[in-house]
Amino acid sequence: MIVPRPIAPRMLRLAALGLASLLLLAYVLGPVMWLLSSSLQTEREIVSIPPHWIPESPTLANFKAIFATGLGLARPSPAGTDPSSGGFIPSVAANLLPAMANSFIVAVTVTILNLLIGVPAAYAIGKIRFRGRGLTLYAILATRVIPDIALVVPLFLVVRKLGMLDSLASLIIAYLAITVPFSVFVLASFFEQMPDDLDRAARVDGCSRLRVLTHVYLPLARPALVAVGLFAFLASWNEFLLALMFTQTAASQTLPIVVAGITSDFTVSFSFLNAAGVLAVVPPVLLAVIFERYIVSGLTAGAVKG
Amino acid sequence: MRSRPTLCRRAALSAGAAALSLPFVRGARAADPIGYATWSAAVAQVKAHVAGFEKQTGLPVAYSNSPFAQYRETMIAKFTGGAPLDMLWVSDAWLPEFAMAGWLAPIDAYKQLTAYDAVTSDFCVQSTVFEGKQYGLTYYTDYMSFLYNADILAKAGIPAPPATWDEVVSQALTIKSKGLLDYPVVFGMTQESWMIEFISAMVYSTGGRFIDDAGNATMQDPKTGAVAALTWLADAVQTHKVLSPGCVATGELEVLKTASAGRAAFVLLPKYRLKVLNDPAQSQAAGHFKQSLMPAGNRGSHSTVGWMRFFGATPRGLSGGRAEGLVMLMEWFGGKADGEYVFQKTILKDLGLGFGITELYKDPEVRADLGAYGDVDLMARQQALARKKDTISPWFGEWNDAHGTAWQQAIVGKISVEAALRTSAETWTALKKAG
Repeated sequence: MIVPRPIAPRMLRLAALGLASLLLLAYVLGPVMWLLSSSLQTEREIVSIPPHWIPESPTLANFKAIFATGLGLARPSPAGTDPSSGGFIPSVAANLLPAMANSFIVAVTVTILNLLIGVPAAYAIGKIRFRGRGLTLYAILATRVIPDIALVVPLFLVVRKLGMLDSLASLIIAYLAITVPFSVFVLASFFEQMPDDLDRAARVDGCSRLRVLTHVYLPLARPALVAVGLFAFLASWNEFLLALMFTQTAASQTLPIVVAGITSDFTVSFSFLNAAGVLAVVPPVLLAVIFERYIVSGLTAGAVKG
Repeated sequence: MRSRPTLCRRAALSAGAAALSLPFVRGARAADPIGYATWSAAVAQVKAHVAGFEKQTGLPVAYSNSPFAQYRETMIAKFTGGAPLDMLWVSDAWLPEFAMAGWLAPIDAYKQLTAYDAVTSDFCVQSTVFEGKQYGLTYYTDYMSFLYNADILAKAGIPAPPATWDEVVSQALTIKSKGLLDYPVVFGMTQESWMIEFISAMVYSTGGRFIDDAGNATMQDPKTGAVAALTWLADAVQTHKVLSPGCVATGELEVLKTASAGRAAFVLLPKYRLKVLNDPAQSQAAGHFKQSLMPAGNRGSHSTVGWMRFFGATPRGLSGGRAEGLVMLMEWFGGKADGEYVFQKTILKDLGLGFGITELYKDPEVRADLGAYGDVDLMARQQALARKKDTISPWFGEWNDAHGTAWQQAIVGKISVEAALRTSAETWTALKKAG
């Protein structure tokens, strides 16, 4: 006879699970929701006690100000200008859109180059048997053992000697050095897990190594490609330390530097700062939403290498 | 037999990399401009003034900026890496470190610059001097001011602002007893923002000092040290409960926002914040905030602490043929530009920033600007009573960390005032000994 499980403990378990999920959601989403909410508030409303999670009189003025200054349609205003109506524009506001463009160029270029460099390297390590294969992989990974802070001055010297200070190229090269080892590691693990029979069958059918890679393995490796591409993009988009050192002017400064600069000014508009923060999180969030189904499988594939 | 031309793989890769990077490398710059680095503040004003300089002199300037929070570390890395810097903004707290490292060059030889010392607040000039040499001209200056919300005082029936620290307590207790505010006194005592300035202002106004003329710690001395100031703070939190124990986690910006929300009767803030507090667009308490002289302690005066940021020159900037242009640029910003104090007036008008040039207090434009939100003569009087931080030294940062923690513990009652000051003094002595 099947004895039905008592309902009360089951309900209790579900309720506890629901409550824990809600708490986790609030913990994770709380700061993001406040960022979004406060970006739509006036400076006067943002200091209200208790804080208004839902703006009483929502305004897009901060966003309008960012785009208007970026497009040269408005000028940064003196500190005395009314920030509560959204009219206050910090002096670095005009740099936000160019910085976003710089961040985008750097992140996209790093992502593309990462895949162009990482895929053949990972395929060679994962599928071609050669002496020192394991050592090569760990040597590549070992470059990431050194913390970035220890590399700042040596890298700065290299960049300066190459005459590349204050250029996007310096960031692209530095970020490649950071992201390629991880990409190679994840992709090599992924390729290694794929059956060698695929490789052999394609070779018997007359495929070259390159053709095997592009026509057989790459279509199957889509989750891993998305994962490493996203990693490279996010790492480049968010990177702060090297960008701080290598960039000097609006010509090359990326979004994290310019957003951080807003807090250095003498009058800080928190609503404007948060509007800039919203702009900074939009591209990564969009990418994460679009490629969500590939991310976990891609990263897991690399992480459970046997 | 003619050999077949071969393409070296390494050369091909190098050429490829170079071709890829080409679009991102900026074009060759104009011949060796003056490198001018600042933190990311007053960017529009600096850019405009740089443009004026370039137009006037024909000398190109490479202006760059980075966030203040990382500015010192960035500059150190850039100096170490040999970045092409000629002039930069420097905080008075960094002077000993930068000067000893040889990153800054003295300007004493340039009378065109040192001539401004005669018309500059003494604490500003002193703040640019290290081991008898002067390292720059004032960019902006300010001092810690005592501000009160006149509306709250009026509601509590208090006719005049406090002139002494004892009166601050008694007035705060009155406000508290009438249910107007739980914590009428709002001070920010986090390590990160202005804590040493808040504390120094209180120490000076209670007649104390941290160190004597020989640089030895006196802060632990009950008569000449910092005992009165720290005791007042600890009592305000623990005994009178007019200052929240949360003050040790309250930064300067939170103090400003709390005051703006009308939830503070007495605050210590940099004087330039008065403009924001009395701006209806930015503050719900606009029109109510007034400045009074720093309250005095039993053995003290109305002294306060002043600080300044300055334009410093690098050895590169003052070397050979570069010196002439650099001196012109430094005067353009730190002195007169075209016969007028243009930059000082601009940052005052646009940003409410203080100036070191004392004669500007007589300027009608300046008086009209400051008078819109404060008492100009009182501002000038308080500035004349400002003194530089006596603790600025090569070990200032390290000492400040230990000192700040000890003070915070004493304020919330975890350790005694005497123990906190003993720790401060011992740390100072040990660091001084270590050099």
